[in-house]
Amino acid sequence: MSPTKPIAIIGGGPAGLTAAAFLQRHKVPFVLYEAGPKVAGLATSFHDDDGFTYDFGAHFINNRLAAALGVGAQCRTVKYYGESVHLNGKSYGYPLGLLQSPRYVLSGISSRLNPRIHKRQFRSAATWFRASYGSALANEVALPLLEAWSGVPAAELSAAVGSEKLQNSIAQTLKFRNIGRMTGRAVACGYSHEIPENSHMWHVYPDGGVGLLCRKIAEGLESQIRLSSPVEAVWVDNNQVQAVQVNGQELPVSGVISTAPCHILSRMMRGTDRLAALAQFRYRPMMFINLRLKGRGLLKDTVVWLPGKDFTTFRVTETPISMPWLAPVGKTLITVDIGCEKGDDLWSMDDEALGESCLKDLEPLIPDIRQRYQGCRVLRASCAYPVYLNTYEDVRQRWRQTTGVEGLYTVGRNGEFSHALMEDVYWRTQRKLRGILPSNRVMSESPGATPV
Amino acid sequence: MSHSLTQSLTTPLMGAIHRPDSDRPLPLEPVTCCVCGSDDAEPLAVGEDFEYRTSPDTFLAVQCRCCGLVYLNPRPAMTTLDRIYPLDYHAFDFSAERYGLIYRVRQRLEAKRLLSACQRLGPGARLLDVGCGDGFHLKLLRQFGRSDWQLEGVDMSDRAVALGRQQGLKLHQGTIQAVDLPAHQYDLAFMIATLEHVDDPAEVIQAVRRLLKPGGELVIVTDNTDTWDFRLFGHRHWGGYHFPRHWNLFNANTVGRLAMETDLEVVKIQTIVSPVNWVYSIHNYLVDWNAASWLVKQFSLESTLSLGFFTLFDQVFQAFGHGALLRVTLRRPFEN
Ligand SMILES: Cc1cc2nc3c(=O)[nH]c(=O)nc-3n(C[C@H](O)[C@H](O)[C@H](O)COP(=O)(O)OP(=O)(O)OC[C@H]3O[C@@H](n4cnc5c(N)ncnc54)[C@H](O)[C@@H]3O)c2cc1C
Ligand SMILES: [Zn+2]
Repeated sequence: MSPTKPIAIIGGGPAGLTAAAFLQRHKVPFVLYEAGPKVAGLATSFHDDDGFTYDFGAHFINNRLAAALGVGAQCRTVKYYGESVHLNGKSYGYPLGLLQSPRYVLSGISSRLNPRIHKRQFRSAATWFRASYGSALANEVALPLLEAWSGVPAAELSAAVGSEKLQNSIAQTLKFRNIGRMTGRAVACGYSHEIPENSHMWHVYPDGGVGLLCRKIAEGLESQIRLSSPVEAVWVDNNQVQAVQVNGQELPVSGVISTAPCHILSRMMRGTDRLAALAQFRYRPMMFINLRLKGRGLLKDTVVWLPGKDFTTFRVTETPISMPWLAPVGKTLITVDIGCEKGDDLWSMDDEALGESCLKDLEPLIPDIRQRYQGCRVLRASCAYPVYLNTYEDVRQRWRQTTGVEGLYTVGRNGEFSHALMEDVYWRTQRKLRGILPSNRVMSESPGATPV
Repeated sequence: MSHSLTQSLTTPLMGAIHRPDSDRPLPLEPVTCCVCGSDDAEPLAVGEDFEYRTSPDTFLAVQCRCCGLVYLNPRPAMTTLDRIYPLDYHAFDFSAERYGLIYRVRQRLEAKRLLSACQRLGPGARLLDVGCGDGFHLKLLRQFGRSDWQLEGVDMSDRAVALGRQQGLKLHQGTIQAVDLPAHQYDLAFMIATLEHVDDPAEVIQAVRRLLKPGGELVIVTDNTDTWDFRLFGHRHWGGYHFPRHWNLFNANTVGRLAMETDLEVVKIQTIVSPVNWVYSIHNYLVDWNAASWLVKQFSLESTLSLGFFTLFDQVFQAFGHGALLRVTLRRPFEN
């Protein structure tokens, strides 16, 4: 990287901003281009005049990320977090409740006892889940959820969907839940993979919403951030990044760090076809229908999974069970996640009709939901979840390591095509950039001791 | 700003002290490893000011992946020292009457340790205690050492310095980098429970080095991270974190590297026994779990029983080279 031309960072979400702060600390010139009118990407909260706060799905951060960013004092401790599964008209706490059902325990145990499980290569997510959870639990709970969430049959998904994300044992989950109950802190479990979790990490929520995190990272970087400036093209010559195009203008750069979804990046590339295979990568669009309701504690738990085929949604979340301050007293908010395809009937449905269909969906859970209903607000994310299709698993694995183009790097959830949550994005982005920087730059800043 | 080896000999009664600014966050600043310069570090622990509750912040202790140094990142800005070292901070608030027996036992022990570092000193030797607080160690040296030794101390706290001066000690107020002391004049310098508090350990050691005669020695005593108490409590409650006042925490390796960086010879690295981090780890654990205050008090430094017990306990670890404190003897080389 030449020190004179700046590095262009594409995107001002958690990943792009973390990259920017890192470059700033290492005195590497950069310019960050954000397509939207403000920073934060998906890590944003919205407030309405009636005192409700809506997040883009990203509700949970832990005290470790807050401390790393120096915003611990501006975060409140989340006292309780729980999940349950609603199946055939009955609710089961997760994971303990499910384990009280003998069928699931037996199938889970017999699969665990299979000594070959750790050595096996799994052909698909379906075989991974069956081997790890047992057929009953996989077929009735895990796989239907996976399919509703991704929009494709589990047999077409890579085993990595499970194995990269769900490493926590049931024993650890139970231990953390119990410690959480005893300490009155919702111990975070399964949220971080970059750095080991421990029982002293719990969920916290920033005052005024999750946007605080990005505002904090962006402090001191303002002069290098260009808002409402989508990067339209990345120019490559001789397999080396040369320039980016922003608002029709070509700007020479020494490198590009992209957080843009990789199928979009693929289409932005000029002068190389090395990223062509990424154009087929799929992201699952998601709609978040936030139902405003009278009452509190209408769901059995903060998150309720709905694997039954009779539901349009696969997951509902009542955030005020964990974060009471997200809705006014006596009221609550239930977020209904619906996976769809851009432009399909659901995606184009107007908000009111969506709210109406959610009410119908949730009546089995909350019989008097119509009397409680006070309107809804819908958020749409066109790239909510990367879908790990088996057909491009090799390309995906390679992509996580390198883009194949000199000077082009990707970080972040959509940039790397991974299911990373914010803490992982934060540590991983820095780790990746450290690998990019010429080592002499890092060394030259060491506190060289000059003897007297 | 530092306190003495009789680290944390008191703790305020929980909730007893009102701090008007304790709900105002501190300005925090990112830092890199002060030993090797890397910023590649593994997060270890999130903690709070369990002892003094001087701010509502949470703090992150990390460990350098290159050299193993444990440090606070981000850490309070230098402008916050008045807040994170409140008036009731133990190093400023120390008296024999208050601690009776424990005080006298520790005094003896400390004196013995100090004098063991002074064996090669001749008549009229010049000694300097860097981060001397109100002069606890200097008083011991005055009481138990040779009468012709010239004893001086440096500390940032004007209150501590004023207290020590009242007792006839020759103390200088300011940082070691800033105070005006003669170069190449001192035979022996101590930094006892000081290194972990300073913002730039290498710079401080270089400043001390400049004052030492060729062949003069610097004895550093600091918390050891290569211990079982660290392993057991390092995820949050370890007493040695002393959130947010211990900014850099060493082991034999990192302190040796620091010596190399500052062009000092390592004469000896040993570990010594201390009950303090054990007692404080348990104290912090109990505070964090909202334990009853009578129980918490059993693990304060006013509790003879727990201090006695953990002194014996730590002796076992010390026998295997993992005592709670590091004691490092460095020497300024003769040639240069
Ligand atoms: C439903 C859901 C729930 C989640 N829940 C949690 C949670 O509870 N806890 C948690 O920690 N994480 C959660 N996450 C993940 C979290 O939202 C992401 O990890 C995080 O937002 C990723 O940050 P990013 O910077 O990689 O991407 P983004 O936040 O998506 O930011 C990318 C930015 O790049 C900009 N951009 C894109 N293309 C261009 C271009 N061509 N030019 C300029 N700018 C461009 C976009 O406008 C956007 O601002 C959740 C995610 C989803 C979808
Ligand atoms: Zn280091």
